[in-house]
Amino acid sequence: MNNKPGSSILQVNGLNVSYGTFHAVRNVSFEVKAGEIFGLLGPNGAGKTSTLSAVEGLLKPQSGTITVAGFDTAKKPLHAKANMGVQLQATSFQPELTLAEIIKLYAGIYCVELTREKLQNILQDIKLEGSSSKKFKELSGGQQQRVSLVIATIHDPVLVLMDEPTTGLDPQARRQLWERIEAMREKGHGILLTTHSMEEAEAVCDRIAIMDHGNVIAIDTPQVLIDTHRNDQNVISVSRKGKITLEDVFIGLTGRTVRT
Amino acid sequence: MYSLALQDVLYEHKLHPTLSMSGEEKKIKMQTVIPKTSAALTSLLRADFTTQWRNRRSVVLLLLVPVIILISWKGLIAKMGGAFALSTCITIGLTAIGLMGYSNAIARDRDKGVFQRLRVTPVPTWSIMVSRLIVQLVLILLVTTFVFIVGSEYDEVTLSPAGYTLTFVTAFVGGALYLGLGQMIVGLVKNAETVNSTTRLVYFVFIMVGMFGDLGVLGEELKKIIHWSPYGTVKAILAGSMQPSNWSSQTSLALLATIAYAVAFSYLGIKKFRWNTQ
Ligand SMILES: Nc1ncnc2c1ncn2[C@@H]1O[C@H](COP(=O)(O)OP(=O)(O)OP(=O)(O)O)[C@@H](O)[C@H]1O
Ligand SMILES: [Mg+2]
Repeated sequence: MNNKPGSSILQVNGLNVSYGTFHAVRNVSFEVKAGEIFGLLGPNGAGKTSTLSAVEGLLKPQSGTITVAGFDTAKKPLHAKANMGVQLQATSFQPELTLAEIIKLYAGIYCVELTREKLQNILQDIKLEGSSSKKFKELSGGQQQRVSLVIATIHDPVLVLMDEPTTGLDPQARRQLWERIEAMREKGHGILLTTHSMEEAEAVCDRIAIMDHGNVIAIDTPQVLIDTHRNDQNVISVSRKGKITLEDVFIGLTGRTVRT
Repeated sequence: MYSLALQDVLYEHKLHPTLSMSGEEKKIKMQTVIPKTSAALTSLLRADFTTQWRNRRSVVLLLLVPVIILISWKGLIAKMGGAFALSTCITIGLTAIGLMGYSNAIARDRDKGVFQRLRVTPVPTWSIMVSRLIVQLVLILLVTTFVFIVGSEYDEVTLSPAGYTLTFVTAFVGGALYLGLGQMIVGLVKNAETVNSTTRLVYFVFIMVGMFGDLGVLGEELKKIIHWSPYGTVKAILAGSMQPSNWSSQTSLALLATIAYAVAFSYLGIKKFRWNTQ
């Protein structure tokens, strides 16, 4: 299998996830292609993290199939995992370990050879060359984000999963991360990210899926979504200053109520 | 631009396989093989031993209680026998390893999501736990050796070579019981704070009731119960192996009971274990 731009590297089909009797993800299907940034949007509790967790193998879906780089995650979980890099919503590394030790650990897990020089390059690349002996929690939010991204992609996976990667970042750090994500797209990685920022979705995502109450209610490019819904009454009623934005479409489709 | 700088650095140092290729093949490869488990396990072990080393103060505390006993009991040892004293000390050390060390570290890392991060990598989940357990086995070795040394240097209690060898074996069996007990507690209790207080309580009860009950201070009835409790059976097999010639059918029964406890605790602990606390 190869990853020509446009070839499918993640396929989610009829995914259902339940927590006890609570049905969190309902019949979700989508696909992420090589060289594509795919955004998963939705209000709090929509089921974004649950969907990602199923792809990552952290929870067992009730039904549905997930294929990563051609490997069924239920049948070949380790092969699927070898092809994905993951940044979790709440990442934590061993608190006793230094940055250098954490990077070495993950490089070792993926059998990526890591010379002293390579390690230096990685640290330089994320502008943390002076911090190799710092602990993860001693870093700022933006620095932590860079570290977890560099670890997520240390084995150069075809599929990169990121759960709210820019939450809590300042505008500079956010732009920097966007550039990194876009550079990964140029190289042919397929990227699946979740975000609450409509601006971000419009700026970096090639395609987005909007989830609500566990369902995917829309899936397309941001522009097409805006165009198809610009005449919806719900969308117009929430728009401001007469211009329809992706946020208007999002609120128009998912409603104004704040999720509890 | 930042991302350009990244590519330059990576390109120059040929760090990035895909970047160092010519434009045409500038692609990332799909992996068709899983990274070797042995390599992953080595990395995990290095990380877990480093973690233990950073927490070496807790290891000192682990050794402290047995030492205090060995020193303060010096006068009594002639009366109660060297095996009694040494086996008490090793039992207490094993209790501390399984209950305080192992289970609290697991509960804390689970709470912080350390395991979830590891579980999204292609390592088999068992290797995450096996690595942790190997560190604990080394600690068991350390505590046992330490008690032997203090016992021989300070209290002049020495064993035969067969006694030492057998005791290391039974220390591992006893250690397995307490690691299983620790596993059971993190399996049944989700919250890290609660795990902490539960293990402290169990540890305290084991030491107090076990030690004093064993000395007969708390009455005959309790002494019998303690003898067949996880405290008593471990102590019995340790004392039995220190003097192999004294190994009796009672000791064999204690060994069977220890193994049964270890299996039951571990089974429950593994079955009920959840990798995350949400
Ligand atoms: N471990 C769990 N046990 C029970 N319910 C859960 C669990 N995890 C999530 N849920 C529920 O499943 C639903 C989906 O949660 P999920 O975390 O996937 O949402 P999300 O879209 O990622 O939200 P957010 O934007 O807040 O991160 C929510 O209603 C949540 O309460
Ligand atoms: Mg989420």
